[in-house]
Amino acid sequence: MRLLGLLGFITVMWTIILAITAFLINFVAPIDFVLFRNGLDRILVSLMQASIAIVIIVILVWGLNKMKKIYMQKKLQL
Amino acid sequence: MLDLSFGNNILIYGVIASAISFLVTLIATPKMISSLIAQGSVVQDYHKPGRPNVPRPAGPVLLAGIVASEIVLYLLTLNMTIMAIMLSTVIAFIVGFIDDRKVLPGWFKPVALIAAAMPLIIFQAHGTHLNLIFGNVFIPLLYILLILAIIPIVGNTINSIDVLNGVVTGFVIITIMPLLVSIAIFGDNEVFLAALPLLFGTIALYGYHKFPSKIFVGDSGTLVMGSMYGAVAIAGNSEIIGVIALLPAVMNSFLFLSSVKKIVEHRQVRQRPTILGTDFKLAASQEKNAPITLVRLILANGPLSEKEIGYYIFKLALFSSSLAFISIFIQYHFLLGVYR
Repeated sequence: MRLLGLLGFITVMWTIILAITAFLINFVAPIDFVLFRNGLDRILVSLMQASIAIVIIVILVWGLNKMKKIYMQKKLQL
Repeated sequence: MLDLSFGNNILIYGVIASAISFLVTLIATPKMISSLIAQGSVVQDYHKPGRPNVPRPAGPVLLAGIVASEIVLYLLTLNMTIMAIMLSTVIAFIVGFIDDRKVLPGWFKPVALIAAAMPLIIFQAHGTHLNLIFGNVFIPLLYILLILAIIPIVGNTINSIDVLNGVVTGFVIITIMPLLVSIAIFGDNEVFLAALPLLFGTIALYGYHKFPSKIFVGDSGTLVMGSMYGAVAIAGNSEIIGVIALLPAVMNSFLFLSSVKKIVEHRQVRQRPTILGTDFKLAASQEKNAPITLVRLILANGPLSEKEIGYYIFKLALFSSSLAFISIFIQYHFLLGVYR
């Protein structure tokens, strides 16, 4: 099964995407309701939400990089 | 969601748009091949015995088929989103065509492709909500920045998968299927119709680009496919579904960029990720500093012929498309009754 490892890699990437979208919907999006109602500026709230989303993306890339290194060592003995 | 009610002519328009794109590309490509050979616009196919000359690029014929279809669709519907998608595709083609003609630095394509995103913003072909599988978020301002990033990223991601005969065209044909279904559910009639010429033009081109290639797609062709894929995903509220379908290509780009650690053209990289054997089979490079690519990983278990590698990439595309279909199912479940 030549593709088994790659299929696993793609499945992990897909799972991470689902986890991130779930996190954004359930935790980041509701910040809007809480902070905006408490009088904070809409732009400021949006900036906070965007910053959280960017930090998550950076963590995702970092995580994928780690995963890649482990996978490469296993697959190509690098 | 598609409106299939009688009187809006979606089936007739769909057949017309698909047929124009398919036939223009199918008929014009042999003429383009003869013209490119006569002009001496050919490149060597390094993976074949005798390194035969193959004409390049096929981008102009693919664009001709798509533009002809989109103009007819626009005249039939007078919908500006169709115009925005078409203009975005034309700008991406120009960027790719310049890159086909001149050797440009690696940063050129991603930066220049930002211009291809502009028609989508100017004609307001985008929504204000981003569908995130388990719900949607209202991001009117952030969405514009997202569009400026999506078109260059998708354009270059599709460009990076143009590795061997027939791969990029076959890959786009497979991965556009879940995108079309997603647009049909979460988008509207016009965007769905506008996406059909990409599928049918690419099917016609695949006949000439499949192994052994009679013509190479070139950067103009890959950027047409990539930017249009991104444009219809944005206009059809299907960005995340598109990303999931393209996961093998995303993975390829990610592996390449994280191993070379800068944005460069493949031709600028000194060490090759694969080695061509005397039997014309490709093997993974054992060099530590060689770029890591999808093909190199496929070859980690042993050498394969060019044709076999293409089929393995198609299997990966089928797998990621299946995941995209599962994601559509989940998104449909969560957005049902919430959306619009």
